[in-house]
Amino acid sequence: MNQLRLAWRLLKRDWHVGELRILLSALIIAVASMTSISLFTHRIDLAMNDQSGRFLGADLLLTSPRAIASAITDHAAQLRLNISRGMAFSSVTVANEQFQLAHIKAVDTHYPLRGSVKISRVLYGEDIELDHGPAVGEVWPTARLLQQLQLKPGDTIELGEASFTVTAVLKHDPGQASSGMSIAPRLMMHIDDIEKTGIIQPGSRVSYQQLFAGDYQRRQQFEQWLTPRLNATEKLIGGRQGSPALNSAISKAEQYLSLASMLSVMLAGIAIAMAANRYSLRHFDQTALMRSMGATQGQLVQLYIYQLLYLGTLAGLLGCLLGYLAQQGIILLLADLLPPELPPASYLPLITGFISGQVTLFGFSLPAILRLKSVSPLRVLRRDLTPLPASAITIYGLALASLVAIMWWQSKNIMLTLIVLAGTLLSVLMLGIVSSLLMYISRHLVRRFTGPWRSGMQQLIRHRKANQLQMLAFGLSLMVLLTVLLLRIDLLNRWQAQLPEQAPNHFVINIQPYQVAGVSDFLKQQEISTEGLYPMVRGRITEINHQPVTDIDHAQEDEALKRELNLSWTSAIQTNNKLVAGRWWQPEDEGQYLISLEQGLAQRLGVDLFDEISFQIAEQKLTAQVISLRSVQWDSFQPNFFVIFPPASIDSFPGSFITSFYLPQQHKHKINKLLKQYPGLTVIEIDAVMEQVKAILTQVTLTVEYVMLFVLFAGLMVLLAAIQTSMDERIHTAVIMRTLGAQSAYLKKTQLVEFCMLGLFSGLLAAAGTELIAYGLYRQVFDFEFSLHIWLWLLGPAASMAIILFTGWLSTRRISHHPPAQVLNA
Amino acid sequence: MNSPSDIIISAQQIARQVPALDKSGARKAIDNNLHILNGVDLEIKSGETVAILGASGSGKSTLLGLLAGLDLANSGNITLAGVQLNELDEDGRAEIRSRHVGFVFQSFQLLPNLTALENVMLPLELKADATAEAQANSFLHRVGLGERLYHYPRQLSGGEQQRVAIARAFVSRPAIVFADEPTGNLDQETGRQIIELLLEINQELQTTLVIVTHDEQLAAQCQRRLLLENGRIRENTK
Ligand SMILES: Nc1ncnc2c1ncn2[C@@H]1O[C@H](COP(=O)(O)OP(=O)(O)O)[C@@H](O)[C@H]1O
Ligand SMILES: [Mg+2]
Repeated sequence: MNQLRLAWRLLKRDWHVGELRILLSALIIAVASMTSISLFTHRIDLAMNDQSGRFLGADLLLTSPRAIASAITDHAAQLRLNISRGMAFSSVTVANEQFQLAHIKAVDTHYPLRGSVKISRVLYGEDIELDHGPAVGEVWPTARLLQQLQLKPGDTIELGEASFTVTAVLKHDPGQASSGMSIAPRLMMHIDDIEKTGIIQPGSRVSYQQLFAGDYQRRQQFEQWLTPRLNATEKLIGGRQGSPALNSAISKAEQYLSLASMLSVMLAGIAIAMAANRYSLRHFDQTALMRSMGATQGQLVQLYIYQLLYLGTLAGLLGCLLGYLAQQGIILLLADLLPPELPPASYLPLITGFISGQVTLFGFSLPAILRLKSVSPLRVLRRDLTPLPASAITIYGLALASLVAIMWWQSKNIMLTLIVLAGTLLSVLMLGIVSSLLMYISRHLVRRFTGPWRSGMQQLIRHRKANQLQMLAFGLSLMVLLTVLLLRIDLLNRWQAQLPEQAPNHFVINIQPYQVAGVSDFLKQQEISTEGLYPMVRGRITEINHQPVTDIDHAQEDEALKRELNLSWTSAIQTNNKLVAGRWWQPEDEGQYLISLEQGLAQRLGVDLFDEISFQIAEQKLTAQVISLRSVQWDSFQPNFFVIFPPASIDSFPGSFITSFYLPQQHKHKINKLLKQYPGLTVIEIDAVMEQVKAILTQVTLTVEYVMLFVLFAGLMVLLAAIQTSMDERIHTAVIMRTLGAQSAYLKKTQLVEFCMLGLFSGLLAAAGTELIAYGLYRQVFDFEFSLHIWLWLLGPAASMAIILFTGWLSTRRISHHPPAQVLNA
Repeated sequence: MNSPSDIIISAQQIARQVPALDKSGARKAIDNNLHILNGVDLEIKSGETVAILGASGSGKSTLLGLLAGLDLANSGNITLAGVQLNELDEDGRAEIRSRHVGFVFQSFQLLPNLTALENVMLPLELKADATAEAQANSFLHRVGLGERLYHYPRQLSGGEQQRVAIARAFVSRPAIVFADEPTGNLDQETGRQIIELLLEINQELQTTLVIVTHDEQLAAQCQRRLLLENGRIRENTK
């Protein structure tokens, strides 16, 4: 109890000492950055779920070929989830003595639970957004169905034994994705009307659909309850399957955020280590004194550990608070995207952030602080007795171990953790070697200079140890800052490039082979540009290397194996694809059963070059050899394929073509023209989704900027700690030089030279290190192209010179303003 | 507990040597040791005031450190308050220091971040004494700094700082106070006052006082004077 109080008093009394503030600030930044980022990623998950909700018309969708058990809906109701019941099936519609197969979707009055239904009151009329489906007795066919039946709103349509009034034209059904890309035109009706039609008989092919929506926690609870109870024919859709483009952008953003958080923790750790070291150095006297008074080593260890605990708790609490507020700020930025009633923030990130903060603190400061334990009590009589420094292995080992633990725990991404660590270690090594080299060169060049240049360089060499340390700290933190800046620029450029103004926002499918020429001409005529029309044949992967996929453990759960894939053939590789292994078709490959496989799928299926994959296409089975792997930019909004054949190999199979293009809002009528001319086509409009994606990216961009601030502050702490450390010695030298009669103008010039060189060296080192890390990150994590950045080599040295000069000037200012004796005694 | 005739410190044949270093700081050949103390014998009775005199560099501080249990001799025996120091480990010696020893230093050694009061409280707080503040307060009044309790060392003159240090040395009621050149950083007049104060309080509390100094005048006020020369002690009777 008493020791706790004493520890608190001593700590409080040391409060105005610079290094304690740096230590505390660095720790607060680390904790705040960790908590806010993991709180934020949690929220992004929510936003993503909501986003995909707009694709499903709900948060979760359960489909089954049989009526869904009431136990399931009862449980959902118990969890107070919103529920909507629906059915989807194909049926013939009749009007004007014409027959047309249609895809019918029957919904109840609660539909849709998320998103909205879009209709128009007249053919090709203005969009009206509604939060409900058709009433009993009404049906909403799409324009295509109306055209095929030669109907208009107000007319009657027959379905089985009943007839219904067409009250609107269906434009957009939020649940469209759930019914797949069905070829038939669509119609929406009320579920209570199904009975009247008499269409559904035992044995009819019907997809029963149950939609659920509710807050995040209940939904998760429900998902956990339901998943193990599902049988093979029941399927639960939800979570992140919504939009691959958005997924890719967001997961990159999340990677960036975790990287930023790791780096800020690492920088904070370095700042803490430096501050703790300085704290330790400056407490030799106090410790020796207390030992002479009879304090035992154990008692002193206890005293200092208590101080660390105080600091840790204080910084942990403040950091959590700051992190929480920062996260609230992010939420405000993202307000448009998040569901209006967010679940209460989970406390887990706060707890893990707090604990990680303590690990950072102890991991980085303990060796320095424990060094105090071995201060000899005899120091009270002989000031020159300093304890042995902690062994390098202890210092770096402990710091490294705690860093790995935290990074891994926080990011759950071992690859990223390893790259950051390896990059840092390599950079430190490189910084060490190069800075020694620079020192060596300076020592040999110094004789060629005269005046302040010469003494400036001599100073640089004389303070070699301190300067090298400072170069290391400076170079490292600058490097991290530059890396984060560089990544941010490239990430944003990439997003902008990926979502150019003219990114395709319409897909046309079901183009029949004989229509290809006509549709191309039509598009050209209308000045709609496309990347081309791609053929598409549906097929299922049945065997890998002649082993049925159902026997392959790691592969059989893969989504790509559960459904039919769109297979395509092209002669040239698509512009947004990149060959990563093997070779592209040669003319002699045409007509052969060879394939180019998307590398992600290849990895998931455990397939390599020259392996053989068998497909079931229509009624036929064929086996093809993998001769190349491609990386595909899924977020390009171009038609993309997992599997591509060479020309003249599978074009005899029945298939259709697909294309995508950009169409501004004011040219929407061109679609109607197209559909009038080619009623069989299906147009998928994703312009609304694209707008959402753009909005999300804009907001995520803001968040990225926001998070950069944490790294910036952490870097600043390292710089401050480094400067503090080196200034102690520098001020002392300067004062002695003044005592020896050096003019203050001369001193200033000398220092200017020394600082400039120091800044230049650290800046160059930082630029080199940044390129190195960027190279690794781009290749391994972000999948970006790498090229050298000239501006880095200019900005690095310039920024570091400016910072060192400024802070150096600030802290040496008092030397010239005060008489030497005063400074020496201070 | 201690009657005046009790021997509180005794040393027999203590020697202290350190490896001598050559100019570059590297260790010289093995037997080339610097012999600082070379067979010191002494006995100090409880309540005595003893001055240890000697030229600068003669080993006075080294001897003080040994007697106070801050350092270990290479050979010989030291008994402090009835306990053989070389039979104790470092924590054992710390325990002895905490119970029996107080220090006054040439450079005061006050903690700059603590007030005068807090500096004086420190030895008591390390012993978890609940009355630390009251005792420190009364001792500061005793040394004439009752008005300066909350001042920091830098706000005090050298003499005042040494008074705080004296209060700190005596506040835990040690049996022995060691002072290493307590007037070395002070002008003559202030130094004289400080010595007077030291001796006065020593008298009041019946403490044993061992003062290292090369100031003859100061030494003259002590009951015994020992001269350290060539690593040995010589009793210097008046
Ligand atoms: N641990 C040590 N290492 C090297 N030299 C020492 C050590 N301790 C003392 N000395 C040397 O021993 C001599 C005596 O020192 P000291 O006891 O401080 O003398 P005094 O206090 O009488 O001036 C000095 O020359 C000092 O440099
Ligand atoms: Mg001395």
